[in-house]
Amino acid sequence: MTASLQTQRPRTRRIVAVYVSLAIALAVFVVLNACIGSTMLAPADVVGALAGGGQKTVAAQVIWDIRLPRLIAAILLGGALALAGFLLQTFFNNPIAGPYILGISSGAKFVVAFVMIFVVGSQAQMSSWMLVLSAFIGSTIAMVFVLLVSRRINSMAMLIVAGVMIGYIASAATDFLITFASDQNIVNLRNWSLGSFSGTNWADIAGMTPVVLAASVATFLLSKPIGAFQLGENYAQSMGVNIRAFRVALVVLSSLLAAVVTAFAGPISFVGIAVPHLVKRFLGTSKPLIVIPAAFLGGGIFCLFCDLIARCAFAPTEISISTVTAIFGAPVVIAILLKRKRGR
Amino acid sequence: MDERGLACDDLSVGYDGAVLIEQIELEVKPGRIVTLIGPNGAGKSTILKTLAGSLPSVAGWVYLSGKPLDELTSHERALEMSVMLTERLTTELLTCADIVEAGRYPHTGRLGVLDDDDRAAVDEAMRLVAVKDLSDRDFMHVSDGQRQRVLLARAICQEPAVLLLDEPTSYLDIKYQIDLLRILRTLADEKRVAIVMSLHELQLARIVSDEIVCIKGPRVFASGTPEEMFVPQVIDELYDLPAGCYDPATGTVTLSAEKSR
Repeated sequence: MTASLQTQRPRTRRIVAVYVSLAIALAVFVVLNACIGSTMLAPADVVGALAGGGQKTVAAQVIWDIRLPRLIAAILLGGALALAGFLLQTFFNNPIAGPYILGISSGAKFVVAFVMIFVVGSQAQMSSWMLVLSAFIGSTIAMVFVLLVSRRINSMAMLIVAGVMIGYIASAATDFLITFASDQNIVNLRNWSLGSFSGTNWADIAGMTPVVLAASVATFLLSKPIGAFQLGENYAQSMGVNIRAFRVALVVLSSLLAAVVTAFAGPISFVGIAVPHLVKRFLGTSKPLIVIPAAFLGGGIFCLFCDLIARCAFAPTEISISTVTAIFGAPVVIAILLKRKRGR
Repeated sequence: MDERGLACDDLSVGYDGAVLIEQIELEVKPGRIVTLIGPNGAGKSTILKTLAGSLPSVAGWVYLSGKPLDELTSHERALEMSVMLTERLTTELLTCADIVEAGRYPHTGRLGVLDDDDRAAVDEAMRLVAVKDLSDRDFMHVSDGQRQRVLLARAICQEPAVLLLDEPTSYLDIKYQIDLLRILRTLADEKRVAIVMSLHELQLARIVSDEIVCIKGPRVFASGTPEEMFVPQVIDELYDLPAGCYDPATGTVTLSAEKSR
């Protein structure tokens, strides 16, 4: 027993180190995102504003009404994206599968835009639940298309190409819809359809939190069968995984996670691929029980970091979050591809 | 009466309802090793997949420790039977110990965390197949032969009553082939595991098996003890060899069959 404990130790130490680093990084970026912006605030101001509660100072308003909901959204939705990517990579046994690249985010975007423009109309705001529901319908439709394609072709590359095409079709259809939207909707829709955390309010946070947390906990509880599935479907089945139920769970959870992100922040690229990959490298393992919580944290940190850049790089003009995530995420994808090529 | 083990009754196997082999009768009792031999594509793997429950049977019944296989939940099945497949496994950042530990799946709780008993079983299985020193090595960075032994350790630490192996000796050199078969013999003799496997190497099948089943579609061509099966009449016809090719004295085939006659 002592021998096996000793061999476990360096690995345990590494995992603890990664988790501690992630926690520190999260704290640092929370502070940075709260302080930096068109109104610069010292950390003391932030603490004061938070402690002050109801006081209506400018600092308090900026923190409570704008920055705090926005950074909470970045953490929750970033985490959701990373998990959605991790689930899809498991499902398709493909390291570059993710909700954006497979067109699932774009499918969600299309249905949300459709419901916004034609069903709700310009006068009423969509409720959070309606947003999430329409996004979920859209992401599931796109997912079904991807599944149909994946049944017919057995190549990783072709699956990705098919997903990208589905994404293009959905995006084109969305652009088409936006052209017909009434004037006051256009500005909002355009921003949202490119992906952005701007304008997040507390009602949005109340809407997204239960969905993200429930789906993330469910994902964590699937750690065991996901681990078995990493040895391939046949081994998983022989170890007692109910493959059909497991597949359904993966599809529903990844669609739901991708949907909630798209509903509140629009489609966000590359987080779902880059973050799980980096987290696995840092941890030195792909064991789901260890990777899943770290991927959630990593997704949150990555989105906080990218949102900070999106807000500040060309202030007062904001760039879309996807522009920033692509700049940092796409090189990771290229690195994965190069590494796989070399491995063969 | 010992109910454990594997049996099948009038079993037909195949894909999408098309029968490849029919009327398979098999009984594998604890402590016995039954080996399927036959030409490539004859259906050995298909039979093993059906016995494992990963391929539905076309007709007939498989009984695992006395109960019909399709009435067991996948968890109940996994507690009784483990498998070692021929398919190549591609993993990412998993150590050999991680792979073996996966075998404890049916024994662990909701999150799959191993307790001391599980660790002891993993340890014992890894020692049995001599892969303990590979524990922390990445599964993708060890040799084919080592990988094969790690997969066997995984199947063993699942602690099954029935063990199915599809071509377990492929990728192994002769030393490890012998080692592997010795381990299987030990499992059968000491742990009373019922073992069904397919083998290409006839001389190995002959020394390790208690029973040989010759597969040549659409039926089981012949079955019996190794002494009964490894005779020229059976082997030559099973593999469509010219008469006299198989030499029972050496357990191998000769190239110059006609001349030696």
